[in-house]
Amino acid sequence: MISVYLDRPTWAHRRSAGMKLGLLALCSVLLLPQDSLILFIGCLAGALTLYASLGRDGLSQVLLLKPMIVFFGIILVFHGLFTGWQEGFVVVLRLIVMVLLANFVSITTRMDDMMDAVMPLFVPLKWLGGSPRTIALAVALVLRFVPVLMTVYGGLSESYRARGGKQGSWRLIAPFALQSLRLSENVAEALSARGGARGVFEQNRSAGRNVRLTGLQVGK
Amino acid sequence: MALWHPLRRKDAKKELNPNQDVYARFDRVKLTLGNRQVLSDVSLSLSEKRIGVVGLNGSGKSSFVRLVNGLRRADSGTVKVFGSDIDDVAADLPRFVGFVFQNPDHQAIFPTVGEEIAFGLRQLGFDKAKARDDALRFLELHSCSALVDKPFAELSEGQKQLICILAVLVMEPKVLILDEPMASLDGLAGRKIMQKLKKLDQKLLMISHDLSFLADFDRILWLEDGSIRMDSVPGDVLPAFRADVERRSALELGGDDL
Ligand SMILES: Nc1ncnc2c1ncn2[C@@H]1O[C@H](COP(=O)(O)OP(=O)(O)OP(=O)(O)O)[C@@H](O)[C@H]1O
Ligand SMILES: [Mg+2]
Repeated sequence: MISVYLDRPTWAHRRSAGMKLGLLALCSVLLLPQDSLILFIGCLAGALTLYASLGRDGLSQVLLLKPMIVFFGIILVFHGLFTGWQEGFVVVLRLIVMVLLANFVSITTRMDDMMDAVMPLFVPLKWLGGSPRTIALAVALVLRFVPVLMTVYGGLSESYRARGGKQGSWRLIAPFALQSLRLSENVAEALSARGGARGVFEQNRSAGRNVRLTGLQVGK
Repeated sequence: MALWHPLRRKDAKKELNPNQDVYARFDRVKLTLGNRQVLSDVSLSLSEKRIGVVGLNGSGKSSFVRLVNGLRRADSGTVKVFGSDIDDVAADLPRFVGFVFQNPDHQAIFPTVGEEIAFGLRQLGFDKAKARDDALRFLELHSCSALVDKPFAELSEGQKQLICILAVLVMEPKVLILDEPMASLDGLAGRKIMQKLKKLDQKLLMISHDLSFLADFDRILWLEDGSIRMDSVPGDVLPAFRADVERRSALELGGDDL
């Protein structure tokens, strides 16, 4: 689920990323086995209240569900026909509530906080000689570049159609793969130009060198 | 190209002295990519405050400047950066040699401006709170504090490029390399960025196709087919380069229609 970060600080931004992710995990575990329709309607109302508490632009984030309506519809009909409508509504509502809650965390949490919160999960990598920071960075990169890749695909598809091609053709797969590789090469280069995944840690890191703000005489 | 390189930081560490005047010295450097000789026999040293690089497409400009910060390594000859062999100090180079790419969308890693700036500081070993604090102060200093929580994708092209430059500057390099930084900007945004660049303490090594930006540089390198065709002050090189482009286009496009 890729969505934009809400760039206006709200009460939810001030809560720690670890707490938000922890609560999210707890909710998933608790809600998964439930099958009461009333409970999920209550949860949906709760989730919407959370969004509303962020203000109008917060509430409008709920629109992100729009592209998934078809998907929810299919699940609902499928369950309705084979196991019963009540069941169908429960399954769909459970999905909607979980998506809304997860998205709520992602629009109110900075990427670097999120990385720091999940980094402990990757600590075991250290024993294998890996670096948790690298994984956290990789996660950040994936989140950052999924929308970029979608734009790349959009561009390709547009120029293909501009020359008479059909929408969603398999012919775009190869050029898309090539362009994605090219992009990833550029990004990798840009990352290593700033010290790579491991950084250029200085000796006096704990001393906390100050940014020499005066050294850069850049005019107003 | 790999993000994580098990050997990268294990190489014997040599201290480099970033306070010397000459920041890069090329000695008979050759570079081959695929089976193409991209640079042949380049020898020079770079020390001037502002050096421009010009040349036609494919003449080797990008490859040349990438040799200075270790993004590319020479096949033969030596590249010394601040007096040390580049192979010995490559891991430390990002601290001293900043690099700004042509396309800001390839450079920015984080979704918001503040995180993008703070990333450079965390690369230097700052903890998160301090990195974020200093990033904000740095943005304030450059009158960009309003952008701190803005998603990078929503900035104008000019703002994007400015943020990319700031994200490199915050690491306080001694030298700033720019590979056609103004290519995607309109004339006004380009000029604004150039004005900022001229006020920096950092030494500049900049590729540009817009020669007007280079007119008051200290030195211009003209690359042609992988070698230095001319190396002098702008007053000499720029008119000669312009005349050469004119001559070629007259020759190649000539009277015949395309
Ligand atoms: N990875 C690569 N593999 C093979 N050849 C390459 C590679 N990168 C660049 N080249 C070739 O090396 C030559 C010099 O490329 P370079 O990018 O340095 O030129 P440039 O002067 O920066 O050109 P431009 O003005 O188009 O940016 C070109 O002919 C290019 O095709
Ligand atoms: Mg180039």
